[in-house]
Amino acid sequence: MNPVYIAGAGMTKFGRSEWSLMKLASVASLSALHHANLGEIPVDGIVVANMGAARVNRQTALGSALVDQLALYPATAEAVENGPASGASAFKVGCQAIASGMADVVLVTGVERMRVVNGLEGTDFVASLAHPEAEYIYGVTLPSLAGMFARLVMDRFGVERKHLAMVAIKNHENGTKNPYAHIQQTVTMEGILTAPEAAVNNPPIAEPLHLFDCCPVSDGAASVVVVSESVAAKLGGPKVRVAGIGQATDTHAVHDREDPTDLKSVRLASEKAFSMAGVGPSDVDVAELHDAFTILEIAESEAAGFFPRGEGHLALERGETRLDGKLPINPSGGLKAKGHPVGATGVAHFVELTWQLRGEAEGRQIKDAAIGYACNFGGFGNNVVATVLRREA
Amino acid sequence: MGAKVLGAKCTSCGVVSYPVRSVCPNCRAESFEDVEIGGKGKVLTYTDVYALAIDYETRYLRLAIVELEGGQRVTGQLLGDDPKLGKAVETTIGIVRVQGGKEIRGLQFLPV
Amino acid sequence: MAHVSELEASLRPPAMEMPPYPPKVITLASGEEMVVRQVDRKEIPTLLEAIYPLLWVERDFYDIVAARLFGELLAFKRYRVKDEYVLAGLIDGVLAGMVNGRLVDAKTGMSYHTLTIRRGLRVGSHLFAAKMEYHIEHCGQEEVLIVAESPIGFRRWMIEYPLEKRFEVQHELGGVPSWVLPSETYYAAKPRLVSGRRPVSEELMRGAAGIVLPAEETVVRQVAGEKEEAE
Repeated sequence: MNPVYIAGAGMTKFGRSEWSLMKLASVASLSALHHANLGEIPVDGIVVANMGAARVNRQTALGSALVDQLALYPATAEAVENGPASGASAFKVGCQAIASGMADVVLVTGVERMRVVNGLEGTDFVASLAHPEAEYIYGVTLPSLAGMFARLVMDRFGVERKHLAMVAIKNHENGTKNPYAHIQQTVTMEGILTAPEAAVNNPPIAEPLHLFDCCPVSDGAASVVVVSESVAAKLGGPKVRVAGIGQATDTHAVHDREDPTDLKSVRLASEKAFSMAGVGPSDVDVAELHDAFTILEIAESEAAGFFPRGEGHLALERGETRLDGKLPINPSGGLKAKGHPVGATGVAHFVELTWQLRGEAEGRQIKDAAIGYACNFGGFGNNVVATVLRREA
Repeated sequence: MGAKVLGAKCTSCGVVSYPVRSVCPNCRAESFEDVEIGGKGKVLTYTDVYALAIDYETRYLRLAIVELEGGQRVTGQLLGDDPKLGKAVETTIGIVRVQGGKEIRGLQFLPV
Repeated sequence: MAHVSELEASLRPPAMEMPPYPPKVITLASGEEMVVRQVDRKEIPTLLEAIYPLLWVERDFYDIVAARLFGELLAFKRYRVKDEYVLAGLIDGVLAGMVNGRLVDAKTGMSYHTLTIRRGLRVGSHLFAAKMEYHIEHCGQEEVLIVAESPIGFRRWMIEYPLEKRFEVQHELGGVPSWVLPSETYYAAKPRLVSGRRPVSEELMRGAAGIVLPAEETVVRQVAGEKEEAE
């Protein structure tokens, strides 16, 4: 397997956009391409990550659409759909092209433009990832799966609402240091939990999860350029190596999971990624996790191997996952504050980590970040892609 | 009424898949027979969902995962007040969604 | 008070005695404090200035809300609508949102509009609740007639309180079949949906004495930037 490097990264601001789906994708793509500064080196292929365009934007064949927008034809092009893990899956596909020797330069772009439909339609579209006969027909939505998971975890491990609030507060604060983040607003423990007004400020969404435990609905695009070793050498500059990728799946219906409090796919995928990279969780300097719901940041931090099972909320309490902590988690603001254009999220993880590893994350730079980890959580944890990136001299 | 919720029982090893599958996760055989899903059980977890999808106009929906006697787990709507982890329930079939004017029946859980 | 000519007096609707709205302060999710207080006629031009750029924002029915609200506020200022009130939410003295309505008679209120300028902090939810509080608790009314101009408004009010159908009544906003909030439902929902502390400290009231407008570009970007409640 040939080495793979990230040569460039770029993204649009996440939030509400007036731009079309393809304009979002193009802007992020060009940003990454310029960052890579390929010069005369051609792009062999593109991979687009997206979950809902066919339904929400009534557009399909996004690979073909973007390759035309960027005037990159006759390069190879296709789209990859893996629910909320579309981004990392598309990235995996791009890396495999490089690793196999079939390509030297691949552009990976994730994009979603969800806000063209109202919240009810948007919720229903995301709910389509649930099992049609065993879950969806009951009104199961992604927040409801997260709510049922949260109740069990809180009951079993003593996680409290205040811990969930700490995740939101931390990520909102990080978001204000990230100009690309959807939400530029800090929140306080008083405002979202302890004041009497918190009942109105922070109403229930899927109990025990409340409004500020759930990421916003966002438009946006994120893009990286992956290249072969020879291209990376030609380009010079800092080298971000794709050190390890792991993916694991689980049962479709959440009720079928062996242990419904255990994010088994996160654990298996992370183990594979770390094994390929030849490092362990304790070597990681910065992590981007998939906090579509605040409870998931805590649970993923354990399943990925950073903290023992049932102790993620304790590490959070001790401040270990803050920007100035031992293991900063979600310096970008996470999905909670950065936003979650579904197809773009997985790729946005790599954009943030690339900037961090290259020392380009102004305002929220983790000092001497050399090894980064990302977790893209598809379905409700039944399809997870974990990735380890490493800065090489 | 008369609606049933069906699982798939492997004709080789007897393991039940609900939701149904095409291949038995236990023995990899590909032949199944219908088996009715339902009965008595306990609430494994539940939630009151306020952010509802289209088709629903109630203020919230109470969903649960229930573990039936015999070990089969199911997802459905939890009826009655005072939900609790471990609460004893039994399944019934009711209208769980109205989609495009069409009534869809599925599992509901009644306190025992 | 200026002398009102006989002709002008005949053009004005008769006015009912309306109690003043006692100001309250609400802690928002950001930790900021929002003062909710009544607006008097002298302050209406400032509110009109805030609303004006929204007349052209089609997103989420802001254009129709802004257009109708503009007319209602102007009518209030010029004494051409019967028994209207206006409440505003101010954060550090800066306008965050406004609500209005009128008293049809002693028993029934007519809710008009809810316009949120500062997004993402449930300002609209708080202000809508404040006007229901005004109708039912302070004016002693039995019920308030309400319609929604947007689907999200429908979820927030019709479903969340919940409201009852009163479809035989045509609401003043375009004759749309009306919903109603009866006082019993208000009191049942109050712990869940109505909040705020009284009295407001002197210092906060001083800070909220005027109405500062956010920059127009901010208002349009904020409002057009996100789906939120506009009635």
